[in-house]
Amino acid sequence: MSTSATSRQRILDRIRAEEGPKATGAFVGSSAGPHAYFRRGALDRSACLSLMIERLREYDAEVVECTPEQISTTIDDQLSASGKHLFTAPQGLPSAWMSASFDWKVDHQLPAEEIEKTEGVVTASFCGIADSGTIVLHHSASEGRRVLTLLPDWHLCILRASQVVETLPEYFDRCPAPPALATYISGPSATADIEMTRIKGVHGPRFLHVILVRDES
Amino acid sequence: MSPDQAITAEPAPHTSALRPIPAHEHAELDPRFAPPFPQAALHVLRNPQLRKNVAHAIDVIQTKRGKLVAEKQDWQALRDAASAIRTEALDHLGTYLHEFEKNCTAAGGTVHWAADADEARRIILDLLRQEKASEVIKIKTMTSAEIQLNPFLEKSGLEVYETDLAEIILQLGEEEPSHIVVPALHINRSQVREIFARRMGLEHLSDDPKELTNAARAYLRRKFLTIPTAISGANFLIAETGGVAVVESEGNGRMCLTLPQTMITIAGIEKVLPRFNDLEVMLQLLARSATGERMNPYTSLWTGVTPGDGPQNFHVVLLDNGRSSILKKPVERQTLKCIRCAACMNACPVYRQTGGHAYGSVYPGPIGAILTPQLMKMEFAQSLPYASSLCGACYEVCPVKINIPEVLLELRSQVVNQERGQAGRFFDPMYLGLRIANLLFARAWRFHLAQRLGRIGLRLFTRKDGWIHSLPSVGGKWTQTRDLRGFPEQTFHEWWAARAKEDQ
Amino acid sequence: MRASLFITCYNDTLYPETGKAVVRLLERLGVQLDFHPKQTCCGQMHANTGFRGEAFSQAKRFVRLYQDTETVVVPSSSCVAMIRDQYPGLFEELGNDTLRKEFAALLPRIFELSEFLIDRLGVEDVGAYFPHRVAYHASCHGVRALHLGERPFRLLGKVRGLELIPIPNAERCCGFGGTFSVKNGEVSSAMLAAKLQDVSSTRAEVCTALDNSCLMHLGGAMHRQFMGMRTMHLAEILACTESSPEVQP
Repeated sequence: MSTSATSRQRILDRIRAEEGPKATGAFVGSSAGPHAYFRRGALDRSACLSLMIERLREYDAEVVECTPEQISTTIDDQLSASGKHLFTAPQGLPSAWMSASFDWKVDHQLPAEEIEKTEGVVTASFCGIADSGTIVLHHSASEGRRVLTLLPDWHLCILRASQVVETLPEYFDRCPAPPALATYISGPSATADIEMTRIKGVHGPRFLHVILVRDES
Repeated sequence: MSPDQAITAEPAPHTSALRPIPAHEHAELDPRFAPPFPQAALHVLRNPQLRKNVAHAIDVIQTKRGKLVAEKQDWQALRDAASAIRTEALDHLGTYLHEFEKNCTAAGGTVHWAADADEARRIILDLLRQEKASEVIKIKTMTSAEIQLNPFLEKSGLEVYETDLAEIILQLGEEEPSHIVVPALHINRSQVREIFARRMGLEHLSDDPKELTNAARAYLRRKFLTIPTAISGANFLIAETGGVAVVESEGNGRMCLTLPQTMITIAGIEKVLPRFNDLEVMLQLLARSATGERMNPYTSLWTGVTPGDGPQNFHVVLLDNGRSSILKKPVERQTLKCIRCAACMNACPVYRQTGGHAYGSVYPGPIGAILTPQLMKMEFAQSLPYASSLCGACYEVCPVKINIPEVLLELRSQVVNQERGQAGRFFDPMYLGLRIANLLFARAWRFHLAQRLGRIGLRLFTRKDGWIHSLPSVGGKWTQTRDLRGFPEQTFHEWWAARAKEDQ
Repeated sequence: MRASLFITCYNDTLYPETGKAVVRLLERLGVQLDFHPKQTCCGQMHANTGFRGEAFSQAKRFVRLYQDTETVVVPSSSCVAMIRDQYPGLFEELGNDTLRKEFAALLPRIFELSEFLIDRLGVEDVGAYFPHRVAYHASCHGVRALHLGERPFRLLGKVRGLELIPIPNAERCCGFGGTFSVKNGEVSSAMLAAKLQDVSSTRAEVCTALDNSCLMHLGGAMHRQFMGMRTMHLAEILACTESSPEVQP
């Protein structure tokens, strides 16, 4: 028996000696319990979306809005305004979103060194949480592998209004099942390690642009 | 040295306030060798620059935290829920750890169990040797500092690169962490400039934090892209899914857990949460408590191995190292609820004056004062439970409602019971004094007699203005900075008795 | 209204004027006060330093002394916190069920001074007159253990002539902490220095509080440094009236 397996047994035996009968496993966050934290937000849709935009801008993310019909042209405008030419995109990104005016490296298992050479990335997203200005990526085909939103210096994220919720618990309600991979982005990378002076853009994209698609009536 | 012997120890020699403290003058952050808190603290108290750095850092976080807590109407309810979740996890720790192991393994990870620091280090070294690694990049993890991993790996011939800005500063500057979230808060910008200029060979570097940060970014970029092995800690282990969550600000965490081929995560066994959904409570509390933000810039969640995305070789090392012993104790087990947010040390008026090094442990502040001695099985760090005025500010801010004062009192009682029997204790002024006081309080006539004798005895020390300026022994610790009013000529009970007589 | 005064060991010995002020004040408000001559100490010093066995014996003695008393008034929030927060655990540990029950019955009858005035007597204006600039130090036990909240401020607000100036960082510990003040004398002094900066910025003449323990620490340094500010327990301020402007020690 390897040492780790013996330790495993010893540790579990020590711990289990202390256990009582197992709880039902029911979620503590049930609103019926004494733990009455807020699960739902109180804002109407319009206010919720305004809050999302406000919080994103607090983090110096650029936010523009468009209608569903305008997505491609708005992406085009953002790419042009960036002054960059070589972009990478997840393999599931709609091709209509990738204007021919720019060079694209679509990610079919691109090596990191190749992604490093690109200047920006365009992705979809899973959810937006207005309270904290958080963008949630579950790394689906249109959101891309984790490295894609990490190495390029510029990230353009497409977020639909219908994907925006107000509170963190509402995001959890949206998950059909726990995601295997998730990244929660609440602003560009930052450090306050030197005299608590907040410096942005240490590792990870220094520039975050969000297109909020008004897809709700 | 015991806490009480430290009372009469000589203070450390005065150090220049303006130069950074060289490594050899540090209290080593090994509780087995660190000087007792009063002695270590005295050294720090004589360093105005360090005290200013610490107070500044704390004030920034506290101000931000205060605003966010005030706006969060359900803050207390969230604390209740978080405390309940963490208690539930600890009450069924074995079951949840087993569930985590099952799910993580099913998702392609390998779970190892380390009974102590020594075993954890060996497991990690073996894994690195298997990968034929000569270098490793690390995300900051207090757990790896707890087991003193870096020096061990370096002695075994590996190059270890910290990637958190604060950890780089500490590593290059050969310094020790003084806070669990902002480990370099005791170092100011010109000190950082000096370290980077010297170690990165950048003579013309200014002390502008932006430039310093860019220097760190450039220094690390190549390492992220080329070193295939990484070590991380974990903020949470999710039993329901086998997932691991890491919370960070800089992005070096994302680099380390996305780019390399092999990932080793070390985590204390208490880090487990029952369900994925528990994060909806924990994540609302953590960033607000730790850095005064609604949410930290990057939180990453991954489960085992995902083909084509991230490390294809994933190991979790579960560390006991004394935690299972703490679990057995009814009052002390709440210590394990800790989510390492550092809100307690940010709120602590003692920490504010002394910073982290005085605690002689990688876990400083209020949580360190209860965790460190317990991890040491009460064989070391016995001065730490006394490093508190019991003001309760820590309990007030703890997001998982650890009643730190309650645990401090319990540990003090254990320290006293340990020390009571020791031969030298009998004449220790504190022990003697308290035992005598107890005898006196048992009978009113003894107490009253002692008051009269004390009044007479202290006349020796009482000046004309009715105040005492200097006392010997333990009393000297009072009079070093405070006067003491002399005992009044009549106690309250004597006045009351006299008044009652008059009324008759 | 009858009440029994638990003066506390340190007030009895060092601050009899506080006790006298409590007597003047409460008798003026029509309270018939008595004083148990056999009282000594609540055991806080021992409990907080880790001498639990010794604290047990003092706790037992306290409960036995007051078990038949209708109401107990204590001019010290730290002592009341000891009784409320630590006695239950002590009696639980002792395993003496009779004592535990006796204590449980006694507990609701114990009041810190400001609690007694506001909650029991229902009084905010005690007829006090104190024409001075005053800063109120909120001791930790009062704030975080007893949750006294607004009570001291409501009392101070009704004192004629009194100008109350808030202390910055009011809820930060002064650094006394009982035996902490000598076991960690230097850290205690560093915390004291920080607190004195905040207190002196008020330019008040008097620093008051509900605990003489904090005031002994603050006042001791004020005296050492010739600070030109003095300390007084809140009871002593409340005892002052127009006809009797200051209690003679």
